[in-house]
Amino acid sequence: MTVNITIDGQCIQTEAGKTILQVAKENGVHIPTLCYHKDLSPTGNCRMCVVEVKGGRFLQAACVTPIWEGMEIHTVSEKVMKDRKLTLEFMLANHPTDCLTCEVGGECELQDLAYDYRVEVPAWGAKGKRYPVDSDPNPFVRVDFNKCILCRRCESACAEIQVRDVWGVAKRGIHEQIVAGAGTTLLEARCESCGQCVAYCPTGALSNKINYGTARAHQIEKVTTTCAYCGVGCQFDLLVKNNKVIGVSSNPNAPVNGMALCVKGRYGYDYIHHPDRLTKPKVRRYLLEGGKKELKGSAWDWVETEWDTALDVVAKKFQETRDSFGADMLGFLTSAKCLNEENYLMNKLARQVIGTNNIDHCARL
Amino acid sequence: MTNKTQIYKPISPEIEELARGHHYDREAALELLKDIEARHAGLSPATVIEAARALKLPAHQLYGMATFYSMLSLQERKKVLRVCDGPVCWLKRASGQSSVSSDQLIAEWAEMPGYTVERSSCLGLCDRAPAVLVEDEQAGPVSAQDANKVCEGWRGIPTDYSEERKGEVRVMTALMGRIDPDSIDDALEHGVYDGLKKALQTSPATVLETVESSGLQGRGGAGFPVGRKWKFVANEKRTPRYIICNADESEPLIFKDRVLIDTNPHQLLEGMTLAGFACGASEAWIYIRGEYEYQARRLENAIEQAKSKGFLGKNILGTDFSFNIHVHRGAGAYICGEETALIESLEGKRGEPRLRPPYPPTSGFRGQPTAVNNVESFCAVPHIVKNGADWWRGLTNNPAPGTKVYMVLGHVKSPGLFEAPFGLTLRQIIDDFGGGMLPGAQFHFALCGGAAGTIVNESLLDTPIDYSSSQKGISLGAGSFLICDQNVSPVAFLRELLHFFAAESCGKCTPCRVGTWRALEILNRMAEGKGVKGDTEELKTLAGLMQDSSFCGLGQSVPIPMRSVLTHFDAEFAKAEA
Repeated sequence: MTVNITIDGQCIQTEAGKTILQVAKENGVHIPTLCYHKDLSPTGNCRMCVVEVKGGRFLQAACVTPIWEGMEIHTVSEKVMKDRKLTLEFMLANHPTDCLTCEVGGECELQDLAYDYRVEVPAWGAKGKRYPVDSDPNPFVRVDFNKCILCRRCESACAEIQVRDVWGVAKRGIHEQIVAGAGTTLLEARCESCGQCVAYCPTGALSNKINYGTARAHQIEKVTTTCAYCGVGCQFDLLVKNNKVIGVSSNPNAPVNGMALCVKGRYGYDYIHHPDRLTKPKVRRYLLEGGKKELKGSAWDWVETEWDTALDVVAKKFQETRDSFGADMLGFLTSAKCLNEENYLMNKLARQVIGTNNIDHCARL
Repeated sequence: MTNKTQIYKPISPEIEELARGHHYDREAALELLKDIEARHAGLSPATVIEAARALKLPAHQLYGMATFYSMLSLQERKKVLRVCDGPVCWLKRASGQSSVSSDQLIAEWAEMPGYTVERSSCLGLCDRAPAVLVEDEQAGPVSAQDANKVCEGWRGIPTDYSEERKGEVRVMTALMGRIDPDSIDDALEHGVYDGLKKALQTSPATVLETVESSGLQGRGGAGFPVGRKWKFVANEKRTPRYIICNADESEPLIFKDRVLIDTNPHQLLEGMTLAGFACGASEAWIYIRGEYEYQARRLENAIEQAKSKGFLGKNILGTDFSFNIHVHRGAGAYICGEETALIESLEGKRGEPRLRPPYPPTSGFRGQPTAVNNVESFCAVPHIVKNGADWWRGLTNNPAPGTKVYMVLGHVKSPGLFEAPFGLTLRQIIDDFGGGMLPGAQFHFALCGGAAGTIVNESLLDTPIDYSSSQKGISLGAGSFLICDQNVSPVAFLRELLHFFAAESCGKCTPCRVGTWRALEILNRMAEGKGVKGDTEELKTLAGLMQDSSFCGLGQSVPIPMRSVLTHFDAEFAKAEA
C-alpha cells in the first residue's frame, strides 16, 4: 500500500508502515537523533527528533511515529527548532563542560548537535559532578555517568545485540540513572566486556579504558580490517595514530557483524606492538646444529632464524617421525584464526603428504 | 586482567520458596519484591539479585523496579509511616502560611520510635487531609502533633457519605453508606448484579450497543467513549482479550475510586464482568495502587463472595460465559495511572509509558487486545445495562450524558464527594454542593480536574464544566475541585504541584525529566520571595516544551496548571520575580 505525504513541502509517495524518520532519510531530509540508532529498537526517549505534524496537538518523535496518508510534516518549523534547542539545553544542564579534555571530543553526538543548534550549557545547569568519574573497575569500559544523557542506547545494545542484559535504568525523574545489574560493578553484573555499549554511546559517558587519552578523532586514520581471532570474519577499523595501532572501533558497514565485536576483537589488539610478539620464527639451537636433544645449556636456547630454515627443521622432524613410527603417530590441529584456504591446505598436508587422518580443528575442542 | 570468578551459588531457600509461591511468574516480579521486603524489612542488592535469578530475569530489571516504586526501599526500614506530601494535605497543614513548603512540614514528622517516616507524593486520602498511612492503615485527618496518637493506634475518622447533598443525582453512589460493602447478600438485596443477570440473557453485541448508545465517556479524565473502546477490543480477531480496571488513582485531589470501591465493591466487579462479556474477554485485572491495601483486600473479599454466588468464575449463572478478576497492587507510582505504564507495571516491569501506537485495544497487556477503563467508568455500566441507554441520557440535559462523581476540597464548608450531572459551574460546586466558602474565606482560585487540571480565577466561576470546557479554560478532568482562599499564594501552590510532578516524573523523556525539576527549582525560589527577573518567562518556555515534546500524558499535562495560573495570576508571579 502506498501513501502520500509531504515533508517540508516535498511531496513523497512511499510504502505504508515506515516511520517519519525513515522516509525523511530516504528523501534526503535530515532529522537530528540521539537515542535513535538504526541497529536498536527505537524508544522515543530523547525527543530530539520531534517534528510538527499538521493537525497534531503535540510534536511527534520522528523515530517512532508511523506515517499515514496525507500527513503533512514540518521538520524545521519555528516550534520544532525551539523545542529541540531547549531539549538539548536540558541534556546539557547536568553535563560537565570538559569538552576540551573529554575522550570523545570531536566524535560526540551531543557536541555535534550543540554545535549545529548553537546551544550552550545553561547558566542554571552544571551543578558539578553527581557521580564519581571512572566509577567502574571494568578493565576495558570506562564509565562516567556525569556525561550520560539517559538515551538508553547502552541498555538496548546490551540487551539486543549482546543479549547480556547488564545495563538497566534505576530510580526515576531527575534522579534516574543507568546502572549495571543491581547497582553493582559491570563484571558482577555478568558483563563480558564486549564494549558494545561503548560503541553505541553517543557521548563520553562510556568510553574505552585501555586507550583512554591517546588520540583525538581527527588524529586517527582508520584502517578497515578483518579480525584475526576466529573464523567468524568480523570486520572493524583499526585506529592508527603515527603508524601505531592505538585502538579498534566498530565499522557500521561491516557485512558480517555490523557494530558488534567481542572482547578479543575490540580490546585484544595490544599484541600488535607488544615487545614479546614473535615476528620471526625461532628454533632451539641444537636443532640448527644437528646435535642431540639437550634439555639444558645453550643448546636449549631459542634462536631467531629464517622461515626456510625453520620449515626445513619441521619437515625433517615430520619425516623422521613418520618413517620411524608410522604416519598415524602424527596429528594436525588447525585454527579458526586461519583462512578456509589455509585450513584446506593443512588438510591436504595431513592426509596426502603425511598420510594420516589425524586432523582436527580448534573450534571442535 | 582480573575477572572475578562467578561461583555458582544456589538461590537462598527462602527466596526460592517465595518465588515458587508465585509459580516463578515473571509478571509477579513486583509481588516477589514486596514479599522479600516484608520479610527482611527492606531490600538489598543481594536479595534483588537472588529474586532476579529465581525468576530468570536480568538483575537490572528488578533493581530498576526496586528503585522506581516509591513503596519499595533498599534501605532497612522499621514500620513505615508515610506522610502525605500532596498539595491538598499541604493546603491543610500550611493554612495561612503558604510560604512554608511541604518538605518543611513533612520534616515536622520527626523520626518516631519504632517507625521509619517517609514522604508519599499523595496518599489518595484528600477527603481526610492531612493524611498519613501507617503501614497499610489509612489515617486522617492528622497533624504532626498527633504523632503519638497515631503510634497508639488512632486512625482518625473515615468520611461518611451516606447523607445525600441537596441537588445530587446518585447513581453510582446510590448505595454509598447504605449497604455493608463486605456483604454480597446486602448488595444483592439492593439490586447489584441485576445488570449482569439481564445482560447474560442477551448477547455481547447488545451490551456493546447499549453502552455505545448511552454515550458513556471514560471517567479517568480524557472522556474517551467507553463503548467505542470496547468495540475496538471486541472487533480484534486475536484472543485472549483482557479487561483492566485502572484503580491506580494517584493524582492529588482525586479519591473517588477509593470511595466507590470502599462503599460498593460489587458494583465495580459487575461493571468489569459486563465489559468482559461485551468484549469477549475472560480474564481481568484490577490494578490498584499500593497505598489502597485496605481497598484491595475488600475487593479480594468481594471477588471470593461473587465467585461463591456464581457471578464470577466458570460458567457465570449457568451460561457459557466465564470470567475471572484478579487484584494487582501497585507500589507507589503516579505514572502507573497512564494506561500503557500501568500495563508495563502489570507485566512486572518499571512503570514507564509505552510507545503509542499501538494502543491497548490493539496491543495491550501481554501484547493482546486490552480494554483499560477507570473504576468510575466500570461502575456506571451496570446501571446503563440495567436501565437502558435512554435512561442514562435522560438523567441530564447536558450534551455529556449521565452523571459524574465530583470531589470538592479546600476552603469550603463541606468538602467531600457527590454525584451530579455534567455542566455544573464552579459557583454551583462551591455554593450548592460545597456549602459555600468557609467563614472569612474569599474565593481566590481553584484547581479544577485534578493536579494536572486548570487553575482558574473568579472569571470562570460561571462557566459550565464538562469534557469540552477545557477549551474555555476550565477542565473537568477526573472531577475534583480544590478551592483556595485569599491566603493561598498561587506561586506557592504551583510550587506544590510541581513538587509532586517532579517527584513522580518517570524520567524516560528529557523534557519531563528535566523540565519538572527545573520548574520546581524556579518556583522554590519564587515562593520564597527570591525570584529573579525572567523567571515567569522561563516557566512559560518550560511549559511550552513539556507540552509539545513530552513522551506521555504526564509531561504533556504538567503545563496545564502552569499555563493557566500564569494567565490568571501574572501579576502575582511578576511580584514574585522582584
